[in-house]
Amino acid sequence: MSLDRRGFLRLSAMLAMSTAVSGCVEHGRLIGTIASALTPSPTFPEDEPALSADDHAVLCRLTYGPSLDDRRRMAAIGRLAWIEEQLAPESLDDSATDVLLSAYPSLRMSASDLIDLSDKLFDEQDRLTVPTELRQATLMRRLTSRRQLYERTVEFWTDHFSISVDKGDCCYFKTVDDRDVIRRHAFGRFSDLLSASAHSPAMLVYLDNQANRSGAPNENYARELMELHTLGIDGGYSQGDVEELARCLTGWTVKDHFWRGQFRFDSRLHDAGIKRLLGRTLEPRGEEEGEIVLGLLAKHPSTARHLARKLARRFLRDDPPADLVERTARAFESSRGDLRLTLRMLLLDGQGARRPKIKRPLDFVLSSLRQLQARVQDARSLLDPLARMGHLPFAWPTPDGFPDTAEPWMTTLIPRWQFAVSLARGELAGVCLPIEGLLDAGSGLPGALRLTADLLFGSSSLSGVSDQMVRALGEVNVRDEHEALQLAVAAWLGSEAFQWH
Amino acid sequence: METTSPAVRRLPLFGPRWRLADSPAGDVLVVVFLRGAADGLNIVVPFGDPAYYRLRPGLAIAPPDASNAAVSERALRLDDRFGFHPALAPLMPAWQAGHVAAIHACGSPDESRSHFQAMELMERGLSTPAGPASGWLARLLTERLPSEAAALRGVAWGTSLPRSLAGAGSVSTLQDLSDVRLSASPAAADPLRQVMGTMYADAAGPLGALGRESLKVVDRLERVSSLDLAEHAYPPTDFGRQLRQTAILLKLQVGLRVVALDRGGWDTHFAQGGASGWMARLLGEFAAGLAAFLADLGPASPGVSIVVMTEFGRRARENGSLGTDHGHGSVMLLLGHKVAGGRVHAAWPGLEDGQLVGPGDLAVTLDYRHVLAELCLRRLGRTSVADIFPGFTPSPVGLFLD
Repeated sequence: MSLDRRGFLRLSAMLAMSTAVSGCVEHGRLIGTIASALTPSPTFPEDEPALSADDHAVLCRLTYGPSLDDRRRMAAIGRLAWIEEQLAPESLDDSATDVLLSAYPSLRMSASDLIDLSDKLFDEQDRLTVPTELRQATLMRRLTSRRQLYERTVEFWTDHFSISVDKGDCCYFKTVDDRDVIRRHAFGRFSDLLSASAHSPAMLVYLDNQANRSGAPNENYARELMELHTLGIDGGYSQGDVEELARCLTGWTVKDHFWRGQFRFDSRLHDAGIKRLLGRTLEPRGEEEGEIVLGLLAKHPSTARHLARKLARRFLRDDPPADLVERTARAFESSRGDLRLTLRMLLLDGQGARRPKIKRPLDFVLSSLRQLQARVQDARSLLDPLARMGHLPFAWPTPDGFPDTAEPWMTTLIPRWQFAVSLARGELAGVCLPIEGLLDAGSGLPGALRLTADLLFGSSSLSGVSDQMVRALGEVNVRDEHEALQLAVAAWLGSEAFQWH
Repeated sequence: METTSPAVRRLPLFGPRWRLADSPAGDVLVVVFLRGAADGLNIVVPFGDPAYYRLRPGLAIAPPDASNAAVSERALRLDDRFGFHPALAPLMPAWQAGHVAAIHACGSPDESRSHFQAMELMERGLSTPAGPASGWLARLLTERLPSEAAALRGVAWGTSLPRSLAGAGSVSTLQDLSDVRLSASPAAADPLRQVMGTMYADAAGPLGALGRESLKVVDRLERVSSLDLAEHAYPPTDFGRQLRQTAILLKLQVGLRVVALDRGGWDTHFAQGGASGWMARLLGEFAAGLAAFLADLGPASPGVSIVVMTEFGRRARENGSLGTDHGHGSVMLLLGHKVAGGRVHAAWPGLEDGQLVGPGDLAVTLDYRHVLAELCLRRLGRTSVADIFPGFTPSPVGLFLD
């Protein structure tokens, strides 16, 4: 039995029933039940075309792993319309995810309220509470949001303007940065995103600009602003430019008394001299100097190329072809840094250049869960496995963000396998895999194996994959079909093929 | 002298005793990379250069004979010009025994002052981005493949592979030896390992070999996991644990050739501290870990060479936040029983105006590759380093004894 249209329908019904009657709901929180009630039960018209292998690959790259809903939607409206729809996230109702997020009150708090919270709680506990909620919320969004491409883009900019919550008050401020900088502007204009980041207390603390003052400059932020955030290492700036930019940004700091955690320009700390950078002379103009330079950097041609290369690397391949980078950079420039239009051009124009990318650990974890239709009531139990794989969100120590090419991740597979086996065996608290549902939908183990292979590798991968597994299972000791399927799931999640997308 | 840890003594599989000795393949190399550009001027303090105290009114470490500073705040005298930061006191016995050497004013010719470019070039063993993409440790390993347990010939502690080992094929990242198993439940682990073995036996793909090596690592180390690995003397830090477990791997003789350890936290733009404070704490943890490692391996730690490096140094003049900005020249340390130790190897360029380079940085008078090349040639069984450091001609520095 392959996953044809009837199979789809039958499988979604079975899986929904299975998770509803299993222990998940009993032990889960009410909120999960509400959310599932709000998710419209998808229908699947019988005359839809099946997904091609290439469409499946597009879904794997642009979502956190195609759920049945994603596959159904892509099959229904076609690739181009699906990409356009994802580029207009405001058109996609996301209330189910919003309900889930109500469990994390710190997401909506201001920086000063977050800091006040620290006075009410034990210090150590609190320094973890706020980032833990942010991490849980981030994972729940990526798992459940219908706006998958938007969430992927948010992740891209989170890496680009990487901030570690392990530095000082960043543990509070990153929550604000995530909401008011990254999420607000991820589909907006780059100049707005850059400016918001430059005024973000999390960034100013993370890169020490709160300590950058007249006569005692601190170059940390100024350097990364040019090297990482805008021009790129080969973007044509000098050590002198770094020093002059640092002078421009003296006095850009964070309030530490009233309205703690708010941006503040302190003119007493600002270097009032003339600055010369990037071939220009800047007359003394206080805070405006920084704004002028941010504007120059945002529309600098080196910035367009730097961002285009990184976007193409993230969404298409590790070594994007130069002409595609060039076209993307031109789209960035001609749209005056409109990030949605830039991404649109890249995704519509670039699919022919797409090559397999290694799944970073977070992609591996989330695609396991989404593709197997797991029910996640609490993402907390995902944090430890992610930390062991080196991909705990907001924990990358340096400002260059988590690596985005295969090589740094090509290391021992043991932590991935450990996650796979605990997921398959139902050992992760608050996470439930529909093992029984798959057995029911497949009318026994052989059918369930074919369904599982389809969910994990796409409709066009079939037969050989599951036949091989049937043979392998025949050679080991397992108690029953349930245990056999758990074993097959763990092995497939740990397979070579599932580490790529 | 305790040469056998309790854990290993209970492990009949590997024999009652272990011994490290000179091997024709050369020493096991342990590379400690201090990430974030460690401040060489406050690690090996140039107390003999008066400019040091002018440039660092808030951060300088007092000279060894300073009468106006507590003993615990003074540099530990290494020679007439240089002293260790006082937090490095745990390394002084090894220094006095001649097993530690310092190399000052060394580093990369790269002047980007970018962490990322500098680390990348240094880990690739290059001075410009053109050149092989693989890491220098990977190229070092390529010729030295032991027949079994190949995945354990190179071990990086942590969660991701350092650039220096990129391209080595089969090497391992490990976090904790007690944790190398597929599942806590043997009922799950055993059949899974069998199925994975079948599945990966002929897996093509770039990760196929990695999967097979991962299975070998599980096979080899699962047996260690049941042992009580607790030992004395190592500090209770990640660094201490990683060094302790490195020592265990050495004792288990799993075919280890190269070990990479990273310590972060050295990007001290802000509140770096002097004789005490942030950096002093980092140095204290670092020194206590290395001292325990040397003691654990035996007084002369035969068969092991340790090199400590960082991507660049920090500005000679302190900044306005009681920290230091990105600079240029820094220090390296070499530890091992054949090191020409108890000496600071330095062609000291000086810290006066006109002697500093760029925005006011310690000059590099010795390319870091001279140090690594000599290590490869004298201790790691290499007769040439042309493939490890392409386009670079090493010249002898005299860092090792015959």
